[in-house]
Amino acid sequence: MQAEPRYYDIRRVRGEITQIDIDNGKVEQAGTSFYDKATIRALGKAGWGVLSVSGDQIGSEHLNRSLLSQAMNASVITNERVEIAEVPSKIHQIPKIGEDPRNIGIEEKVAILLDLEKEAAGEHITSRRVTYTEKAEEIFVTDSSGNEYQYELCRCGFSVLAVASRSGIVQMGYERDHTIKGLNIRHRQNVAREAAERAVSLLDAKPAKGGKMHAILDPELGGVFAHEAVGHAAEGDLVREGNSVLKGKIGSVIGSSSITIVDDPSLVEFGFCPIDDEGSATSRTEIIRNGIMNSYLHSKETLARVGDGVPGHCRGMAGEIPIVRMSNTFIENGDASFEEILESCRNGILLKGSRGGQVDPGRGMFQFNAEYGYLVEGGECTAMVRDVSLAGEILSTLHSVELVAKDRALHPGYCGKGGQTVPVTDGAPHLLLRDAIVGGCDVC
Amino acid sequence: MSVEQILKAAESRVDEIEVCVGHGDAISAELKRKQIEIGTRSEGSGLVIRIIKDGRIGISSTDNQESWKKCLDAAISSAKFSDAVDWKGLPKPVDLPKESLAFDADIKADPALAKDLIDRMLQGSETWPAEVTGGGVSLSCSSHLIANSSGLWYEARDTHVSLSLEMIADQSTGFEYDSTWNLKAVKPEFVGEQAAFYAAKGKDGKEIETGTYDIILAPTALSSLLDATFVPALSGRNVHTGRSYFAGKMGEEVMDPRFSLIDDPFDHRGIGNCYWDGEGTPVQKTAFIDKGVLTSFAYDLKTAYRYGMQPTGHGVRTGMNGAPGIGNHNLILNGPVMDVMTDDAIYIHDIVGAHTANPMSGDFSVELAGPFRVKNGTLDTPIKTGMLSGNVFEMLKHIEGCSADTRTLGSLILPATRFSGVTIVGRV
Repeated sequence: MQAEPRYYDIRRVRGEITQIDIDNGKVEQAGTSFYDKATIRALGKAGWGVLSVSGDQIGSEHLNRSLLSQAMNASVITNERVEIAEVPSKIHQIPKIGEDPRNIGIEEKVAILLDLEKEAAGEHITSRRVTYTEKAEEIFVTDSSGNEYQYELCRCGFSVLAVASRSGIVQMGYERDHTIKGLNIRHRQNVAREAAERAVSLLDAKPAKGGKMHAILDPELGGVFAHEAVGHAAEGDLVREGNSVLKGKIGSVIGSSSITIVDDPSLVEFGFCPIDDEGSATSRTEIIRNGIMNSYLHSKETLARVGDGVPGHCRGMAGEIPIVRMSNTFIENGDASFEEILESCRNGILLKGSRGGQVDPGRGMFQFNAEYGYLVEGGECTAMVRDVSLAGEILSTLHSVELVAKDRALHPGYCGKGGQTVPVTDGAPHLLLRDAIVGGCDVC
Repeated sequence: MSVEQILKAAESRVDEIEVCVGHGDAISAELKRKQIEIGTRSEGSGLVIRIIKDGRIGISSTDNQESWKKCLDAAISSAKFSDAVDWKGLPKPVDLPKESLAFDADIKADPALAKDLIDRMLQGSETWPAEVTGGGVSLSCSSHLIANSSGLWYEARDTHVSLSLEMIADQSTGFEYDSTWNLKAVKPEFVGEQAAFYAAKGKDGKEIETGTYDIILAPTALSSLLDATFVPALSGRNVHTGRSYFAGKMGEEVMDPRFSLIDDPFDHRGIGNCYWDGEGTPVQKTAFIDKGVLTSFAYDLKTAYRYGMQPTGHGVRTGMNGAPGIGNHNLILNGPVMDVMTDDAIYIHDIVGAHTANPMSGDFSVELAGPFRVKNGTLDTPIKTGMLSGNVFEMLKHIEGCSADTRTLGSLILPATRFSGVTIVGRV
């Protein structure tokens, strides 16, 4: 006879996704698709058994027993006993949203976006594309401890891509905004114009020179730094696997005392989790406080095995097993002004916007790319540069943060890990890094 | 639900309809350190309905086939909002071979097989002293059906096995993976040995000085760079909408004239092998770049019809709603073979952050992963850190040569490739 699971949970996500794609004035696609997925996790004699099936299979007590038994079967292959911690379970209130995107017809959204797309036109602009994605999900979580939650969240957002071309040089400007606070596409023509202006001005930008120099990160790129360089390495699963340079660093000084880095899934931003995807309460977690390594990000399992941290950081895409993830990750404000940062930098580079990044947390190396930048000469921003990136070692770079401004801003986006993509925000105030390694296509 | 039922229900409401149905059964075993901590079984199915009315295309998908009526309604209503193209019809059936090109009856969603592959991978990992941090194996079997109102009805079965291993020695990491449809071709021992090699041998790396170097890009590093830049530049949609570096360059020399870039859906090394693409268009061998000269772009039906071109059989099903996009099957880089390791150089196993390359211009600057100095034909001393900077399109105009051995990485089949005069930004 099959053993009873030591623990189980069931998560069902029913969703509707609306996508609109406008390419050079043509509506290429505007429609809605549907999904309904369930994940049943059971803790067997050794490790986890997971069953992923269509959500419509979830039903009566009898049906659920049968699914649970299949999940237990899947655990038979495991050979390491997994323990999990008992953690508080409580759901935050779902915030009221402004204009509910679900109440606005596709036709009206298409009209708004077509109007927005026109704003990206102009001299030298050779290509324009506007996309819109709206994902409305109904989430149902229950577990063997008797917790049961149900909530709905609707996320939406848009992006504008403008490509400029002149005498064989091609450059792009890309702007996007995502939110959980309601429809965000009305009166956003400025965003489209900004993408177009960026593309055109990059035609005259020089390729950046690579080498060691002082670097100022804008709030968006500073957020990517917090996320890539620190956030991932603080994830409890990587720490437990021995795949993080932050392992064994709790209580140690790992960076400049002006650095406090937080992940807060309870914050009502794009990465908001009213509870996490294994039913744990979510709360503000200070990963680094005043330069001292303070807390890892945990699931029920990694809390039990690693400790030194806070649960409520376990997230999964619909139909996927939840894993330790960030949500809203940011560097707290310091007390410098932007002018002081420029003055202190004197000569170096100001990096702006993000084309993404990547980290190898075990090796402690990160890389990310700015959308554009400016040379800083004599304490002033001068020529615009393009295709500039920054790479470094997590631990030494945290010590090289010399000044932290007081102008924090958050930027919504998406983060990929283990084949799963989840909505997040990253943010920071302006930061000054001393002797950073900047990569560019032109060599000093 | 039956597919005939959907085709019939749509008959009077649309000009044309296409139905795609897929079923999949998969298991996976996930390693945390050297132990299996998670076993997963997934069963899933999907239904994608695409309709055409007055040249307007509507699409919707669902994973609950019983709600096909809602899906059909959504597809029909979505067509109203899209701009019409000069639609020339869904593919008609042609007599294609019935056998599946990417199916191996020995691959089953079988826990014992998964366990065996993991054991072999872990054995391989013991070749060099390093610790396993994570990894896993997954096995899947799936079936696909595509049918349309022109009478096309194609069915195929696919199998897939993939494995990966991450290892570490001090602060040196190694990662390797393999994926194929054919159980005989999968190399678990190789994955283990390589992950261990890069972790163990990468320890105590020395910094490199900023400068220009002769480099060898391993297939893994080259595939990341090509995926971010070259592959999207070959998409007909990007070309016609002004988002491709290759726009307006047809017939020009865009790559080293000794090299070709060919998509061959029938290459024996491939894992994307098929007789028809995601829209039922028969596929063929396509030279995108023939001896350095740009000769073709990739088209799906909609893009071809919109811009007055011929579909090339490059429709692939991607994205949340199952809409066809443009992709390739087995993209192969061919050129003069040499022993790329003979002369001293910097060997680059992989790169960090390839997706941040500029797809329009090809400019990139990325962090090295697994870099070594090559001396006397071997990987001699590890390099600690460094950034590789350059322009992909310029680099591929001057290729020194490539290895005879290739690796199949997703839809790319690539040799190790040697370049000269490439910039590396060091920390000293």
